[in-house]
Amino acid sequence: MRLERVRRVFDNHLVVIEGMDLSVDAGEFLAVLGPSGCGKSTLLRMIAGLSAPDGGSIVTNPSQVQTAFVFQDAHLLPWRNTLDNTALPLELMGIGRDQRYHQARAVLAQVGLAEAETRYPTQLSGGMRMRVSLARALVTEPRLLLMDEPFAALDEITRFHLEVQLRELWQRRGMTVIFVTHSISEAAFLANRAVVLARRGGKIRLDRCIDLPPQRTNDLRSDERLGHEMKLLMGAMEEE
Amino acid sequence: MKRFLPPLIPFVAITLALEFAVRSGLVAGYLVPAPSAVFRALLDSRDELAAAMAKTSAAALIGFALSTLAGITIAVLLSSSRAIQRAFYPYAVFFQTVPVIAIAPLLVIWFGYGMKTVIAAAFIVSIFPVIANTLTGLLSTDPALRDLFRLYGASPGVTLVKLRFPAALPQILTGLRVASGLAVIGAIVGEFIGGSGLGSVVDVARTQQRVDKVFAAVLLASVLGLGLFGLINVVSAVTLRHWHASEQQ
Amino acid sequence: MNRRTFVGACSAILASCRKPSRIRLALNWKPDPQFGGFYAAPYSKHGLDVEILPGGAGTPTVQMIGAGSAEYGVISGDELVVARSRGNDVVALFAVFQNCPQGIMAHASRHLASIGDVVKEGTLAIQRGLPYARILEKKYGFDHVKVVPSPGGDISAFLRDEEFAQQCFVMSEPLQARHAGVDVTVFPVSDLGYNPYTTVLATSGAQLKGDPDHAKAVVAAVREGWRTYLNDPGSTNTRMHELNPSMDAATFAEVAEAQKPFIEQEDLGVMTADRWTTLIGQLAELGDIPQVFAAQDCFRNL
Repeated sequence: MRLERVRRVFDNHLVVIEGMDLSVDAGEFLAVLGPSGCGKSTLLRMIAGLSAPDGGSIVTNPSQVQTAFVFQDAHLLPWRNTLDNTALPLELMGIGRDQRYHQARAVLAQVGLAEAETRYPTQLSGGMRMRVSLARALVTEPRLLLMDEPFAALDEITRFHLEVQLRELWQRRGMTVIFVTHSISEAAFLANRAVVLARRGGKIRLDRCIDLPPQRTNDLRSDERLGHEMKLLMGAMEEE
Repeated sequence: MKRFLPPLIPFVAITLALEFAVRSGLVAGYLVPAPSAVFRALLDSRDELAAAMAKTSAAALIGFALSTLAGITIAVLLSSSRAIQRAFYPYAVFFQTVPVIAIAPLLVIWFGYGMKTVIAAAFIVSIFPVIANTLTGLLSTDPALRDLFRLYGASPGVTLVKLRFPAALPQILTGLRVASGLAVIGAIVGEFIGGSGLGSVVDVARTQQRVDKVFAAVLLASVLGLGLFGLINVVSAVTLRHWHASEQQ
Repeated sequence: MNRRTFVGACSAILASCRKPSRIRLALNWKPDPQFGGFYAAPYSKHGLDVEILPGGAGTPTVQMIGAGSAEYGVISGDELVVARSRGNDVVALFAVFQNCPQGIMAHASRHLASIGDVVKEGTLAIQRGLPYARILEKKYGFDHVKVVPSPGGDISAFLRDEEFAQQCFVMSEPLQARHAGVDVTVFPVSDLGYNPYTTVLATSGAQLKGDPDHAKAVVAAVREGWRTYLNDPGSTNTRMHELNPSMDAATFAEVAEAQKPFIEQEDLGVMTADRWTTLIGQLAELGDIPQVFAAQDCFRNL
């Protein structure tokens, strides 16, 4: 995918993103890092096709890519149980009941929620709800997974486990992930490439390949190599 | 039993207090009847009251059912576009403000004397809360969920059925609760105009200065209102029990 | 000058020495010629400060008197008898209509001969709770007629439907119908042998006992007012028309003229025990009151 001179303006005067050039390779885990209000969510929405750029273009190869989106809040339909929530995208695509339940169950097993199938969102913890949201995103076997600060509202231990799980899923499926976050440690731990956006205007301050092993477990969190990457990223973020 | 005890206590207390007040002369019996007099009126006129209640119940139920269907439909239409909403919502307010008694002659022209006028009155009086609450519910859908549906290519129709409508259900049920009581009131007012039912009993008894019978009829109307209200609560419990805070206490 | 007028004049002289305290007179309908005398009455001359409260459909004047929200009020004779039987101590002081002006009107084209004919077919709009409605039902039965609630002064349904008959004030709705081009036959309720005093000024027993001179002054003022109004209704009509624009000035004048025969007698407003006794007996027979009582309790000629 390639973004060329992409520009986005709000309310005719607030230029959120100015002239951004960015290319993303298939299979990459790209972290988009930046302070609040820097335009990273706006960028993600444009990539998802939920809003159109006011200038420039976004080119994908092939032109239609199965895309999934995970929000900061799980945003499950509260009147549906876990299974029906997970199967929702397939239902909207018109896939029959047995087929979509079969696929949904498979994904739920992958995120470790097989037993929670009949439970309703009010009966799930925050972390479990996020996993359902993730399962829902994965059920269509997307080539491109967009995530907008999905773990920001969770407690740290749950976050750590979900991050590990996310990387495993990414490695197993070989999809492209674009992960927006304002957490430096999260970006460094998860991604194999990180871009740091400036405070305003969507300028790219840093575009770096994360130099860490492909297998990442929680042990890595106390590794000094992680600290090194984090320092570099932090430096770029503090630059102004 | 435990559920019914709390509302019963004030009822019993007020009934006893009122009985005492009338018997001791504190309150004039021709202005406010003693509960014992109301009870006697209920017994003495039970056939007449039962028949009247059946008529009023039928009219209120039909009027309420119609305002539910029409109200939700209108709200769905209004929610479909900002332009339509701005153009037509003010006219919906007309239903809320028009005093039914004022348009009574018109109702009689269009529907004649009888059940149809009563149903029309119940409909007119009860439809607005359904429209207003349903509309609010439909317009308050979580934008992130709407994005999600858009992302997966769902048509507006599918989004309405699978997302916006279920999400609006708590709000819709609130509207129905308000509308149910209004439908009973509307039916009774309609009966003042069109004859028959509890409204007619009240009208005739009032002319005869039979306050006991008036209150007996009013009591039955309240029972009717309570019944409808209870029905909606049952629907609410069944549909919302898994997911809405209001049913999870 | 007869005795009553003399007493009235004395009362006025005495009363003009008193300081007026504001009292309320509640009407049971909108201001129209049936209340002309009340609006024409020279209250201040008799040392009175009277606020007239116009009414409308369903104004509960008899309850207002009982509850004290109005010191004086206008009610109908049968209402008074029923109220007394329920323990509401109301007393009649002045009967405007010596003969009951209520009736039933039907399209003249139907060529009905008597009041019993209105229930042979078609629709009858009547307040079922009224005693004369039940006398009508008792005498002739409602099996062949469709009975609907009275539209309360509105004759649009009547005009539209030839088979539609409705209760009326004999000098009011029929005139309106004729103006609208429909000729009517009117059957007064007295055809049923039922003829209560109507548009009766009443007060509570307590008010009467507590200040009998006050009541005398009110009645004297009202009597003068009615004499004035009968002689020359014009200026009072203008005043009432301002308060009640729904009836036009021409109709006001017409109705004021048409109602005169029901009101006029030498001593305006004076009542007899016989009339009350008859009424009480009729209402007891209907079952509206549990038993008869002394007519003397109902009224006072002041």
